[in-house]
Amino acid sequence: MLHATILILSLILFSAVVISVLIARPTITASRGGKILAFVAMFCLPIFCGLLGVSKEMARSKSTNFCLSCHTMDGYGKSLYVDDPTHLPASHFQNHRVPADEACYSCHTNYAMFGGLKVKLYGLKHVAIYYLGTPPAPENIKLYEPYNNRECLHCHLGARSFEEGAVHNADPATLPAIKANLLSCLSSGCHEIAHDLGHLKDAKFWKAGK
Amino acid sequence: MLGVNQHEKRRQVAGVFIVLGLVIEAMCLLWSTPIAFVIFVAIGGLLMFVGIVLYLYSLVSSLDAPE
Repeated sequence: MLHATILILSLILFSAVVISVLIARPTITASRGGKILAFVAMFCLPIFCGLLGVSKEMARSKSTNFCLSCHTMDGYGKSLYVDDPTHLPASHFQNHRVPADEACYSCHTNYAMFGGLKVKLYGLKHVAIYYLGTPPAPENIKLYEPYNNRECLHCHLGARSFEEGAVHNADPATLPAIKANLLSCLSSGCHEIAHDLGHLKDAKFWKAGK
Repeated sequence: MLGVNQHEKRRQVAGVFIVLGLVIEAMCLLWSTPIAFVIFVAIGGLLMFVGIVLYLYSLVSSLDAPE
């Protein structure tokens, strides 16, 4: 990641230097070669740098550190280290069921078409509220829409532990209902402990992961 | 510093916008916070967009009028 940043910064620096030369010596663009140089420096390179930058920023905005950089998210970050296997985010994070460096994004993205774009727009809304509005207390933060089983099934669908789980198969109607998002994984009372901020002060934490 | 004709002046102004946009992009790449992402897209992106459009306009307008 660091190498990519250095590469993009080098390209930006190179573009800025070439454009600065063209600003200082505009007569260069009078010749055919100068026109081609100006086109590359003032059209192709900035677009290329911009696309690389957007790609880098988008990748970085998926990182756990990025999400937890807002103080409002401190409690949510701590909840990843709760020493309790029934605590859903903690067990996913600590057992690497989701990539640890993209823990928030892996569960809170939208695995539908344009879902990534939709959650980025939600992210911009978060930033706007954080800087321009009054952010709610961490324990009062709610999802914009009910959590969809699709996000869980993105990984768990087809997994033996899910397909052959005793509780999932106790009633033949349960598994189809989960897959059709008719029975919520979270709010049906099965995997309901997600970011339990109210009990964080009493919780035991996994120290080794810190 | 400024060029001798209108087209060159436009290109210089476009260049200044693009360089400012690139500088903001570079700064945001070194600053990993959500607000950096917003500044990168809203200010850096806007400056580069304006610069590129102005440059393309200077190209098109220079085709109409001989320098």
